[in-house]
Order: sequence, then structure tokens, then C-alpha cells
Amino acid sequence: MVRSEADMKRRDFLKATTAGGTVGITALAGCSGGGGGGGGGDDGSGDDGSSGDGSGDDGGSGDDDGSSGGGSNLPTYTYVNNAQSYNPPRHDAINLIASQFDEELGLDIEVDVLEWGTLFSRVSEEYDYSFATWHTFFVTEPVTELNNLLNSGNTDPGQGNYSGYENEDLDGMMADYLGEPDDDTRIDLAHDIQRTVVDDVPMMPITHMPMLGVYNNNQVDNLEADLANGFNSYWTMVNLEMQGGETVLKGYWPETLSTMNVLGHNGENKHVYQFNMMYDYLVQLDNNAEVATDVSLATDFERVDETTMEYTIRTDHSWHDGEDVTAEDVAFSYNYIVDNEVPYYSPQTRFLEGAEVVDEETVRINMSETYGPFNLGIASIIPIIPEHKWADRDNPSQQNIEEPVGSGPMMFDYWEQGSEFGMTRFDDHFAPVDFERRFWRVIPEASTVWSNLLSGDLNYEPFGRLDRQLNENQDEDNISVNSELAPTFWHFTANEREEGLDDPVLRRALYESIPRTPIVDQILFGFPEKGFNIMSPAFGPLHTEDVTEYEESVEAARSRLEEAGYSYTDAGALQAPE
Amino acid sequence: MGKASFVVRRTLQLVVTLWAVGTVLFGLFRLMPGDPTSYVVSSQMTQEARQQLIESYGLNDALHVQYIRFLENLVVLNFGQSFHSNQPVTDIIATYMPNTLVLMLTAFIVAYALGITLGVLSGWYRGSRFERSTVITALTARSVPTFYVGLIVLWIFGAELGVIPMSGMTSLGTGGQSTGFLDMVFTLDFLRHLIAPAAVLGFYYMGYPLLIMRTSMLEVLSEDFIDVCRAKGLKERTIMFKHAARNALLPIITAAAIALGYAVGGSVLIETVFAWPGIGREMVRAVLRRDFPVAQGTFIVLASTIIFLNFVADLAYGYLDPRVTYD
Repeated sequence: MVRSEADMKRRDFLKATTAGGTVGITALAGCSGGGGGGGGGDDGSGDDGSSGDGSGDDGGSGDDDGSSGGGSNLPTYTYVNNAQSYNPPRHDAINLIASQFDEELGLDIEVDVLEWGTLFSRVSEEYDYSFATWHTFFVTEPVTELNNLLNSGNTDPGQGNYSGYENEDLDGMMADYLGEPDDDTRIDLAHDIQRTVVDDVPMMPITHMPMLGVYNNNQVDNLEADLANGFNSYWTMVNLEMQGGETVLKGYWPETLSTMNVLGHNGENKHVYQFNMMYDYLVQLDNNAEVATDVSLATDFERVDETTMEYTIRTDHSWHDGEDVTAEDVAFSYNYIVDNEVPYYSPQTRFLEGAEVVDEETVRINMSETYGPFNLGIASIIPIIPEHKWADRDNPSQQNIEEPVGSGPMMFDYWEQGSEFGMTRFDDHFAPVDFERRFWRVIPEASTVWSNLLSGDLNYEPFGRLDRQLNENQDEDNISVNSELAPTFWHFTANEREEGLDDPVLRRALYESIPRTPIVDQILFGFPEKGFNIMSPAFGPLHTEDVTEYEESVEAARSRLEEAGYSYTDAGALQAPE
Repeated sequence: MGKASFVVRRTLQLVVTLWAVGTVLFGLFRLMPGDPTSYVVSSQMTQEARQQLIESYGLNDALHVQYIRFLENLVVLNFGQSFHSNQPVTDIIATYMPNTLVLMLTAFIVAYALGITLGVLSGWYRGSRFERSTVITALTARSVPTFYVGLIVLWIFGAELGVIPMSGMTSLGTGGQSTGFLDMVFTLDFLRHLIAPAAVLGFYYMGYPLLIMRTSMLEVLSEDFIDVCRAKGLKERTIMFKHAARNALLPIITAAAIALGYAVGGSVLIETVFAWPGIGREMVRAVLRRDFPVAQGTFIVLASTIIFLNFVADLAYGYLDPRVTYD
């Protein structure tokens, strides 16, 4: 029977997710406890709980007897899935998609439920998978990340292009974009890139995820999101207004921070959100992803030539320990990070040669190759660190820093590991915050968080947990929920190294048969938007609507396949053209 | 064989057991699928940077080289440095272990004091309504998942009645105020936070000593010396506690030693539900994130404690029961 997406009934949904749930429970046997959104590109927000190791398990595809896809001349495809406890909605969504591929499209699908570290290795390093889905972050500069993910030169194990997609034309467009200093030309190139990627479907978003600002409106107001860090950004914090005489911003995170070393973290949001407030960056971005010099360390900047930027910095600013912030500190920060090859900043340092002091308020940064979106991709990412603290430290990424000294609007106050982290306002900062203190309590249990939020013991929810409790509590009088489209998405990626998946026709059909609406409405409570373009509208002018539109319909997928010469056996198994 | 040679022999066994545990742990963590750097690094990191990181952890060395280094460090109690926080593992253990110990020991004392007393009484009053209700209570305590009891306690006494705090060891936002662990422990605020998780854990652990003590009492009560005590006209209370209970205590010693050993590992579920920053959560986090040094260090401390307490229990047997020899 052929069904469209609209025919996806709750019964099917429950059937698919229940099967997956069984696998998840099996995978979790004997394993419990904390954990969380990992580095490695997975969720820093919205992920919670532990990971079970279900390596080798399969199921949830609805192919219990192995017969529905029987007879296909295409191989059995493996859809790798995270354990249910690690990310329940995504686990359910993958089972639902696998069920659709198997039962409606006639493919033979196995679902492998894996602990996150294993899943990440299988996909990104070993390329031992057929289909993968996780939460991908493009942050502020989408093409830098796309170039890592889709460049034909990055297809060796671990290099980044795990889809195996190769397209020299796209490589050229991305190189032109990254080397293009002119904003308008870059926008045109970004549109061409989107059209190519959406046509070829090497990786497509299933859902465009939202950024959520959840807060107690008796105590907090005026939350504005920025593109990179949503409602936890520097922009959010310097614009946030306290209400009702409250002076403390009280948040939580489900697990403890790992480090106080701004050069030694792994990019997990829980660290980024703290360091963004403790350190300054040459430029800060506003809620339109444009440089806001009035709240940045640099009050002006200029592209001197294709590979040189010059920044004018404030000369009346100090570190939290009272020392002056100087142009030497800025140049030192860039040179130190480049010279020490700090791993976390390797995507930035590959474009950097070094920095030099021009005069007491001017710093020149030299690139090793032209990089167009310098402010978005580098100057807003590299932290400015105090030379007097770091100059004598070797191997910076492995330093154990106990009391970090930065120059940002918040100062380190205390870190009780596993329990609470606190910062106080730096009164001398040029962009002061409205609250005197901010703390994050470690609370793994979601219901405890909501009790605290409703009672006012917590007043904002930085983690952005998208779950049933949010759905149920969002209409409470003292709770406000701000939502903005994020530049992040759940991707669907087919491994083109697998037989048959190098055919764009099959990939398009697969994408069409993904039940995006049920995933958004039933699994994610309607908060995200249906995926349709690799660069979401969150990117403003970089985004274009002028891309191939794919129906969400199994009928359309099957028609597309049949037109391309695919056929079906009597048992309903898909046959590739001879 | 005398007591001294018994101690020497068991000490040597202890060392061999610890070496075996360490070797198994070393092997297990490296056999686990997945790349330990996948949690440490960002997906955007270049391949060269990732390789550099792996080298800095010593993970590119041959396995036997890593193993020898591991054993050398183990001898001097150097568990290495966390892949994630870059902190020495001993510091991490020193941070989380006291939190766990204060919670688990409180629960342990409550559980064994109550469990033993109720076990004695239920054995003594065999066949009574009291016995039936304590057995049912003990079975319930052991059967209902602790996290479930914890959530119910939080919901009723925390969210609805507001008489217990909802999370952590201290009130929200009060971090950084105490000058040390002991300074924090001896505050009313800490005790308020301790009551609920300790009570839930105590309830769970109570079932085991209660049932063991009851069974042991039933055996002891059927022995001749109890009749002799009665014939001598001793008071019932004296017979129950001084003669029967003391002789029934032996099985509890072994159970308590092992339970105490496990207590060092904390209770992941209770630590999660009550947001208690204990070693159990940290241990699981280290395993899930392939933070080998932290995982190995915490497991070795846990295993050592269990092995050591078992040894102490063996010695205690001889002391408590003169019939037990060290042959």
C-alpha cells in the first residue's frame, strides 16, 4: 500500500516508536546515570541523560521477520541511532523514518542503536553506516562548516565529509565564498551553494531546530537571541533586564562543567556560554549576526587587503585582576593560539598566520589564506586572553585553570564541581549586564528544574530542553517562552559510499519519504520547523527560498523512483535499475 | 596457621587481586567501542588537531606501553589526568568522594541500625503481625526502584509541601560561601538537604540487613543455649539482645562490609534525582565519555575499598566468634 506523509497515523507512529523503545531499553540494560550532550558536534542543548551501549542491536525498523524488504537488489541499509535515554525524541524519530523507508519505500533497513561515542566514530571516522541523523550546528558561518562536511577533498576517514559526496563545482563555489571579502558577492555564492546542495541531497535537514528562551517573567525580561548562541549569547546577557527587584540570574545545566580553561574545552555549549561572558572577543555580534562595535572590544575594523584585517581596540579597558587590556594582549592571544595549535580553535587557526601590534590601539591580523567572513568566523570566536597569565604556560589546551581571568562582563566567582558555578558582574565593563550575579546549579532531573522555575528559585532555563514538561508548563502565568529559529538542524545524511546511495534520485526519494511533519508535531511538540534547506532562514540574507522543494510524500518518492527506472517486486521490495 | 601469617597471606592476595582488577579495567576500557576523543573534541576540529590530541593523551602508544605506564602510575597512586577537565584524577576523586561518603554513610548507619533492630524483633516475634509487616516493608524497600521513591518524596515533600529542598547539598545560589567541606557539612542548610536522599537510600538499604538478621535470629533462637538462658531465668530482653542477637550478627558483618564498600561508589540514581554531586554520577559520566583516567581511577578506588573491607570482615569474624580460626 502506498501512503503519503499525511496518512501517517498515530498508530503507526506509536508502533514505530514502541519498537524503538524496546531496543533502547535493551541497549540500556545495566547502565544508568548522568551524561549529556557531548562535544563532537552533538547536542549541547536539549540532550540529557545517559548513553547506553547498544552496539550491535538492531530493530525498530518494523522489519522483524526480515521479509518486507526481501528480494531487493539493493543491500540492507543500516540507520545508526542513539540510545533512547541519550536523546529520546531523536531516537523515536529515527525509528519512525526507518520504519517508513522499510515499510513504505521497500528498502531493507536495520537500525543500530549505539552509544553516542560509538555512533559518532562509526559515522564520522569509520564511515560504517548507511544513514545517520543527529543535531548539527552551523553556528554563525554556515559555509565554513559546509566546506568541512561536503568538500570532495575531505572524504578520507575522519576528515569531515562523512557523506562521501563529491562535487567539484560545489568545491569551487565554497572556496570562492570563503575567499570572497565582498558581502554581496558572498550572499550570491551562498545561494548557489544552497541550490546545489538541495538538488543533490547529500545532507538535508529533517527539522530546523528552535532556540528557546524560557524564563520566569516575574524576575527576568527582554531576552533577545543571537544566531550563534541563542538565548545564552553575549547579546542576550547584555540586553537582558531584571524584574521585581531581582538581582541574580539563576539558571541550571543537567551536568557539571568540565573545565575552566577557555583554550581547553571541547565546544560544548555549557562551556561556550560561560566563556562568552568571562572573556572578550574582538567583535561581538548582535541579534542580526552583524558586528556590534558598541559592545565589542574593537570599536572599529578594516580589511586592509584580502588577507589582512586591522582592529581598533578600546584603550580604557582592564582585566578582571585590574591589569590593563592592551593591543599586545590581543596580538598575543592570536599568536599564542596559532603557535600552540590549540585544537579547539583549529578551524580558525588554519586561516591565520599571526597578529602584530601597529600602535597602542591598533592590531593587525594576517591570514595565511583569504578568508572572507573573518568577523563571523574568526574574530567573534577567538577569545582575548591576558598575556601576563598565559605567556608562561605550555601546552595551553591541557592546563588545569582554577580561577580564570578574563575581561568580559562577568567575572569568575566560584566553581563547586558537580554542584554550582557562579560569576559576578564586572562593573568596569563597557557593556554592563543588569544582574549582579549569575549562577548555574547542576540539576539533572527535568521535573526538579520545572518546580524551581515555577517557584522562582530558578529564573531562566539556559539548556533549552525541548520536552513534554516544556509543552505542559509554557502557558503558566509566570513563565514566558521566546522562540527563534536556530541555525541548527537534525540532519539526514546518506553514506554515498554504500551501494545505491550514490544515486541522487534515490536520495531525493528518501528525503521525500521522511515524515517531517509528524516528527515536528508529535515528537517535538511543534516547536521546530520542517526542514527544507541546508541553510535555514535564521541566516538572514545568506538564506534563499529559491531551492528545489521536496514534497513530503511517499507517493511522490515512489513515482520519482519509478520514473528513474526503479521497480518493485511482488513482495514490495525496491529494485534498482539494471 | 596463626593470625599473623593469615594477615600476610591475605595481604598478598589483596595485591594480586588489585593487580587483576586494574588489568581487567585497563583492558575493558580499551576494548569498548568508540573513540575516546569523540567527546573531547569538537566536530569542527581538524584531523591534524585530533591526532595531536590523541598523541598528547598517550593513546597512540602501543597497548603494552600504555599498560606498563598504567601499572607504574598505579603503584604510586597516580591515576593520571582527566581527558576532559585536565584535572588530576586524585583531585576529582577528592572533590566528589566526600560528598558521596557523607550521604552514603548516613544512609548506611540509618539502614543498618534500623534494619538490625527490626530484624531482631521480627525474628523474636515470629508469626506475629509485627513480623509480617516488617517483612513486607523490607521486601518493598528492596523492590521499589530508589529513583521512583526519590521522585515521589521530592514531589510530595518538596514540590507540594515545600518542607525539603529540591536539589543539591546547599541552597540555590549559595555556592562559594563555605570555606571547606567540613565547614559546609556542619550547617543546618546542609542537613536539610541531606535528610531526603539519605532517608530514601536508608529505606532501600534497610531491607537487606533486616531480612538477614531475621533469618539469622530464627536459626539462633532454635539453638539449645537459648533454652538454657530461659532456664536460668534471664529476662526476655536480655536473651533477645545480649545472647540471641549477638550470635546472629555474624552474617551481617560480611553483608555490611560489602555494602559499605559499594557505598563508596555512590548511588547514581539518587545522586541524579536529588542533584547530589557524588562520585557515582562522575563515574558513570567518565565511562560514557571514555574519560579513561577518571573511569579507571574511580573504579580502582571502589574495588580497593570493597576488597579491603572484605579483608577487615574476615579479621572481624575471628574476633567476634572465637570458634572461627585463621586456618
